[in-house]
Amino acid sequence: MAILRKDLIRELRTREMLISMILFVLLAMVIFHYAFTVKEGADLTYFTGGMLWVTFIFAMLLGLNRSFAQEKDERCLDGLLLCPVDRVTIFLAKTAGNLIFLLIIQVVAVPVFTLFFVERSYVGDLLPFLVVLLLADVGICALGTLLATISMNTRSRDLLLPIIFLPLIVPVLIAATGATTLIFAEGAGFGGLLARVLFLLGFDAVFVVAAYGTYDFAIGE
Amino acid sequence: MKQLISAPALFVGAGICLVSGLLLAFLYAPVDASSMGFSQKIFYYHAPIAETALLAFGIAFVAAIAYLRTQNPKWDRLGVVCVRLGLLFSLLVMITGMIWGKAAWDAWWAWEPRLTTFLLVCFLYIAYLVLRSVVEEEQRRATYAAVFAIIAFIDVPITFFATRFLPEGLHPVVIGTGGSGMEGSMLVSFFISMLGMTLLLVALIRRDLAVEDLKDRVADLKHSIGG
Amino acid sequence: MPPEIEVEGLRKTFGRREVLKGLSFSLERGGFLSIFGPNGAGKTTTLRVLATLLTAGAGTVRVAGHDVRDDPMPVRRTIGLISHNPMLYLDLTAQENLRFYADMYGVDDREARITELLERLELSHRRHDVVRTYSKGMRQRLAIARAILHRPRVLLLDEPHSGLDPRAVDILDGLLTEIRDEHTFVMVTHNIAKGLEWGTRLMIVENGRIAYERAAGVDPESFSAVYREHVQEGSVL
Repeated sequence: MAILRKDLIRELRTREMLISMILFVLLAMVIFHYAFTVKEGADLTYFTGGMLWVTFIFAMLLGLNRSFAQEKDERCLDGLLLCPVDRVTIFLAKTAGNLIFLLIIQVVAVPVFTLFFVERSYVGDLLPFLVVLLLADVGICALGTLLATISMNTRSRDLLLPIIFLPLIVPVLIAATGATTLIFAEGAGFGGLLARVLFLLGFDAVFVVAAYGTYDFAIGE
Repeated sequence: MKQLISAPALFVGAGICLVSGLLLAFLYAPVDASSMGFSQKIFYYHAPIAETALLAFGIAFVAAIAYLRTQNPKWDRLGVVCVRLGLLFSLLVMITGMIWGKAAWDAWWAWEPRLTTFLLVCFLYIAYLVLRSVVEEEQRRATYAAVFAIIAFIDVPITFFATRFLPEGLHPVVIGTGGSGMEGSMLVSFFISMLGMTLLLVALIRRDLAVEDLKDRVADLKHSIGG
Repeated sequence: MPPEIEVEGLRKTFGRREVLKGLSFSLERGGFLSIFGPNGAGKTTTLRVLATLLTAGAGTVRVAGHDVRDDPMPVRRTIGLISHNPMLYLDLTAQENLRFYADMYGVDDREARITELLERLELSHRRHDVVRTYSKGMRQRLAIARAILHRPRVLLLDEPHSGLDPRAVDILDGLLTEIRDEHTFVMVTHNIAKGLEWGTRLMIVENGRIAYERAAGVDPESFSAVYREHVQEGSVL
């Protein structure tokens, strides 16, 4: 997928976006600590899932804005649209690119987060954790890419994206947070986890299909 | 103009149903046996308003698909009108819900599934209106709004299910509904209210569509004069 | 042989403003259409519709036998667009940019073609430099390479000579001469000299309509008069 390669090369070359996002995520964690530990020895165990996903979602908002800003500024989007490629292929490539960026950030962020906030070792639950991570990531990236494509063409593009993205992503947040906190706090109890994992799976399926159907309209003119 | 189901007739029809629904609720249906007692009566309005709101959003969803297919701006107009009305009804749901909550549990707010779902739904469709406000070009605005209306509506049931994950904690979730055992007399009152609300929605849609049409025509006139 | 480009009743409205009010023209294969007109007349809009970047409000547009609305893919394969924006990725090298587009268009002899074009446009020495470091003229030259990479039969040019240094103008003209046969061109320009020099067909678009259309062989003097009338003193939005 040429588009994917192009985006990756571009980002790796400048590393602007990646570094900013990683820094943001790490800073957010520090801020969370100070924000929540007003009471001496406060136990944040049941907040862990929430903190983690809030951070990732906001980091993605930053990243999505950037990844499309360039296309728009140099009118590269026109160049892309001129090519005999399906619009949907563009969507898949962009989503995959964003997904990879998110994963890279998470590879750095999760260990640090664990160090800061998680007391229980969850190595045994690593597989479920990764599954949850991946599923939630897909949902965030697919929806985010679709919405960023729309918001990029509007007047106040940076401001618009959070407004249209956040309400839609709340279900993912709820499920991912629940599952992650479960893993961090108690261990992967099968029942609760399964329901949430299936939910995320369903969410992803539904929205990827929806994006598939509407992307032509979102990107065209 | 469809004479038979003209707007005034609709409003009258809606009015009759709503008022009789109210009367029925207070006089005919028995007081609820559960702890909520008299305050339960607000349910006869609360639930129909909720369902009507969702109906409005559903119509917007269909209108959005129709717009993307046909590029006909009248679908876009229908979509905006329905979203605005749906938003209005949703706010009413929250208000009546809060009143009910205060009366029944002595708390203005609770993070329970239905209230939170509607809260999120409000944010969602407010976002729709914000989206519309930042796109200047009409065709593009209608297209983006349609895409968003489709995605938003799909998200509504999903959000509903998600909020059920919430306060129960981390234990397995049981997707069940509170028993809705309603006796005959209550059902009658309920359905009449429901009908009234739906008629009200349709009446409001007709009226708002007419207003939008007028607005467009005025704008066209202004434009051709050179305004 | 059917015309390479057929436009009939082309209309386009942006919001309330009707930018194109029913354009109709055709261009035979191998022809060169020079389009003049005041700013805001709808020239660029027309070009963008031909390029499948905009959908027409009404009317039919066919390029190389395919309808641009119903069948845009084959159209995209046969056209190349050169406009003000180079449409290049600044953080990629020239080579990477061209490789990308070559892949997107499915160019078979990718490496050979890229090398050939870079040489032709005198950019070989900078092929591994990031485009951000290029001067404006160089970016335009690379943009030309990008546009003809996939050997399009139809070239759409939007004021291609503007912003080019003299050397680049020479290169561009040389290139156009080289590929003049076998290719069809539509060029929007404010440069009367170039427009007359190249065009087999001349057209002035004013206010969304065709105000003037002639086959070539027009006396430059009389054309200048017409031009002045429509473009310079004509309605400017």
